Amino acid sequence: MAFKRLDPEDFVVSSDSVTSTVWSNNSPSLNTYFTSSTQTEGSSGPYYLSVYQTSSALDTAAVQFQIAYANKNGGGGVNFDSSVPFLSPTTTIYGQYRTLILEDENSNFIWGESSTGSADNAFYVISIERARYKQSLLPGTINLVLSSSNDDLQKLSLTDNSGMVTLPTYYGTQRIYQMISGSDGVAWNAASGGTGFTPNSGSYGWFCPDISTILLNVASLDDNTPTGGGINIQTVSGSDSFGNNPARLYNHISGSVGNTTGNVFELNSQETITSDYVFVRARNNEFNYTENPSFISGSTGEVIYPYFINNPQTFPTTVGMYNDSNDLLAVAKLSKPIQKDFTKEALVRVKLDF
Amino acid sequence: MGYLNNAVITVDAILTTKGRELLARNDGSFRITQFALGDDEIDYTLYNPNHPSGSAYYGEAIDNMPLLEAFPSELQIMKYKLTTLPRGTAKLPVLDLGYAAITLKQGAQLSITPQTLNYLGNEQTFETSGYSVTIGDIRLLNTFVGQGIQSESAIQANQNATQTIGTSVSKTIIGTQVNLTATTVNTLFGANSQLRTTLTVTGLDSGARLTVPITITRQSLTS
Repeated sequence: MAFKRLDPEDFVVSSDSVTSTVWSNNSPSLNTYFTSSTQTEGSSGPYYLSVYQTSSALDTAAVQFQIAYANKNGGGGVNFDSSVPFLSPTTTIYGQYRTLILEDENSNFIWGESSTGSADNAFYVISIERARYKQSLLPGTINLVLSSSNDDLQKLSLTDNSGMVTLPTYYGTQRIYQMISGSDGVAWNAASGGTGFTPNSGSYGWFCPDISTILLNVASLDDNTPTGGGINIQTVSGSDSFGNNPARLYNHISGSVGNTTGNVFELNSQETITSDYVFVRARNNEFNYTENPSFISGSTGEVIYPYFINNPQTFPTTVGMYNDSNDLLAVAKLSKPIQKDFTKEALVRVKLDF
Repeated sequence: MGYLNNAVITVDAILTTKGRELLARNDGSFRITQFALGDDEIDYTLYNPNHPSGSAYYGEAIDNMPLLEAFPSELQIMKYKLTTLPRGTAKLPVLDLGYAAITLKQGAQLSITPQTLNYLGNEQTFETSGYSVTIGDIRLLNTFVGQGIQSESAIQANQNATQTIGTSVSKTIIGTQVNLTATTVNTLFGANSQLRTTLTVTGLDSGARLTVPITITRQSLTS
């Protein structure tokens, strides 16, 4: 008998979470930032700004993320039609994320806890390029350090609050974590019971890991007071005018305004890989002979050595997985032969990933 | 303190070409139910039962040999399967098809009745579970049917036995007798006068295996 049937308990399904960095070349942090004039001057320019890890003229350049600005009333963007007010690319962006995240056209984005947050009509979007991750972003790994134009604040370190909450907030099917001042998922003032929110504008935004998106609260970033926690980003929200707001946030991410050192963007992604394991068991009295032509001598089928008559030795190298029709569906190779005889048993765990 | 159990060997499996085809077919035929062990790369003449250092060194030349990675072609891997036989077996089962090679003209028919030698004390016998017969390229046959076994797996294997998706894929049937008819499709030949593939027969009880070449010669049939 060459085939052995597998029992139901020989099959195990396992899910493992695999994490990796988001940025190109597996870099754990992004420290250099570039844009492309071709993109900004093209048809997508009014909507978003693409950010590269190196000069966009180089072959190795790859989009890392995009920045967009959303405004419910169309502020900061040129109206599509001069006779139709309040409808510009920034309105489109706003409606896009409202539908995607809130799943209700009558709902508003509320930054932070509902009791302390402010229902703001504008936000920035950082959307991670699809090619940079496989499944979703990993909460607790985002560290975004922005330069500041607020004389009372040198830098602003943003992270999500996944390290401080047991469960995320759900909007529809979306997992939402609040963006807060801190690092590695914990607020800078967590030890004293703080939340990392701004004093007056709620949280700094939302971290949406399942759609690889970060929304940043415009009011919190625009703040220019000594204790407001803002970086004076100076968002332009006038009607029917191109505010170039994505570039304003870009300047603070890249450190080209304010304090120009220490800007960094760290972020990891995660993927759940489901694997089937099949346990292949060869008992002591099984698989001790082989149809290998070198095991026999001549065409009569006699074993090559008389020693093999009572002490046959085989060296399996391959596991073949078959269906009922004896079709070979999958194969697994061992790293080296394992010796099998009537005194040995073998247990091989075969991993199927597909 | 806990130590890892290093008695369990973990290996990653890859799908064969046939496995990919059945997975894509999505009709339930991709369902792993059994396994076999193979030793394709092992040369047992390297085993030395006369090693001067004793029995621990008999398999020295084989034990640490580097192994090749898996091939996706189901025809090129798992050629030699390990079998379960009673201890003391001096002669291993051997298949006899009655042919060392098969040559058919286009449209010609042939019946093959495999027999097993040296099995269960019999010099010559038909195996109860039948024989698994694999043609390397199903396009070369108009009919490829197994007869004589009515098990569920045999019925399943023999369904749509010659159905082809137009590509060179293998097909396995089960039976004690195999009936095949060479293709009548002229275009398969292109500018060639012959087409070749292999027929691999495996005894389902004994594990004995035999591969013979099949040659189809062109007759330029009119349809």
